[in-house]
Amino acid sequence: MSSEILKLQGLVSGYQPDLPIIQGVDLSVSEGEFLVLLGPNGAGKSTLVKTIAGLVPVHSGRVYLAGADLTDVPTHRKMRQGLGFVPQTENIFATMTIRENLQLAAQILPKARRAARIDAMLAMFPDLASRQTTRSGALSGGQRQMLACARTLIVEPQILILDEPSAGLSPKMVSEVFEQLVRINASGVTTILVEQNVKAGLQIASRGVILVEGRVAHDAPADGLLGDPVVSELYLGGHKKEEVTA
Amino acid sequence: MITQAIMDGLINGGIIGLGAIGVTLTYSILRFANFGHGELLSWGAYVALSLSAALGAMLPSLSTPIGPFSFGWSVPIALIGSMVLTALLALTVDWLLFGRLRRSGSAIIILVMASFGAALALRNLLEFIFTSKPAYFTNALQISKPLFGGMRATPDQLLVLGLAFITVVLVHLLLTRTPAGRAMRAVSENAQLASLTGIDVRNVIRLVWVLGAALAAVAGVMSGLLVQIRPTMGLDLLLPLFAASILGGIGSVPGAMLAGLIVGLAEALTIQVIGAEWRAAVAFVILVAVLLLRPNGLFGKATA
Repeated sequence: MSSEILKLQGLVSGYQPDLPIIQGVDLSVSEGEFLVLLGPNGAGKSTLVKTIAGLVPVHSGRVYLAGADLTDVPTHRKMRQGLGFVPQTENIFATMTIRENLQLAAQILPKARRAARIDAMLAMFPDLASRQTTRSGALSGGQRQMLACARTLIVEPQILILDEPSAGLSPKMVSEVFEQLVRINASGVTTILVEQNVKAGLQIASRGVILVEGRVAHDAPADGLLGDPVVSELYLGGHKKEEVTA
Repeated sequence: MITQAIMDGLINGGIIGLGAIGVTLTYSILRFANFGHGELLSWGAYVALSLSAALGAMLPSLSTPIGPFSFGWSVPIALIGSMVLTALLALTVDWLLFGRLRRSGSAIIILVMASFGAALALRNLLEFIFTSKPAYFTNALQISKPLFGGMRATPDQLLVLGLAFITVVLVHLLLTRTPAGRAMRAVSENAQLASLTGIDVRNVIRLVWVLGAALAAVAGVMSGLLVQIRPTMGLDLLLPLFAASILGGIGSVPGAMLAGLIVGLAEALTIQVIGAEWRAAVAFVILVAVLLLRPNGLFGKATA
């Protein structure tokens, strides 16, 4: 049995104190798991992962990473304690070169490890290796996502959280990004992926969690959710509220 | 005559450029125009003057002029002390005023207005402590020496120009080659992403205040060495500083220095060609022209 890496306990959060978007989420993610977070627009998927990263205020509840309570820990310290987060947009430093992005991300590591980790990322993402001095703003959407992943993985996080990395990408780019995510997860990195494309998300993940109106509506193995009629109904826009209670 | 105006403009431009670096860094990272930056120049000059006087009183040999210059070792030592103390002053103002406003989510205009208030308070405090009577690091007279092409300059002026150039190179290297510099550039571009990269944004903000204030102190001491020290010296330089930082492109250190030299040259040539009474208008004309024609400045960041 794999050990628990991330645990959310009664999490309530939102940008305004009197307007919670996440309304009591309990979730446990095991080491090595590939979890896809699904849900209709406005369900709170991005808000949930941003809450975990410390970008959205927690109203109540707790966030644990590998047993440590990180609820009130500032974002930069969460990242230093093993949380990796790739935002949906503006996830690279566009005015810096590819190498500078990696150097920046590596500078929280001990000096002796930095060069080796940069080399490891360039080996994992060969497209980036050949363009190290290119200004990142000149990269294509898919390459930007790859750089954003490399920037996050360079510090060997215990968990990698990606907020809709497929947004705005061509279908070919999406499959390339997803293939890379599968490889990253296979290398042992626990992964949480926020995704709009239900089918594509469930095909690459091991577990699916469906969020509706800030609550967990479904939590099951990805294979099971793929054939679930309720899931297809939710995403075809005709779901009934009583069917999605947690 | 024109060649001499060029030399005068370069020297004054070096001082403007150093001050403008602080303006451009605080603007790009804290996202507001700090109209109190000029006061850091004044405070830097007065702190150095006080330290230099104290050192000279304790060890008179430190007041003996070094080589061809008009000042003794007390001034360079006082300059270092002034850089530290001016940085502490900037951190204190941020802790008392700007930091509280940032944490409460105040709008940019509130921060700008607060900077006007801080400037008034700092300037009047200087006047209260030191009076408005001009002060000097030294009373020694310097004769300018012929250089080339009909240009003349005093050793102090040449030192100021050289020191400004070296300082800009050092700051540029700091920003582009060191982890601290990369962190500053990262926060300037995207503070949230910087914190997601493990960077403590609050530390970077402190570093920016320290760097900006230390450079302001250097510019203030240079201005005090070449002209005189007055409580309003920072206020008088404020418009040229903003003109240079906007002309150079917000966030660009080489841009701020180059633009400082351009503003300095424009001022000097205006004095020569049109008349000294138009000097103050030059920075304003440059500022308006840049905002109308090239709002990103000469080296404005191209964001994707």
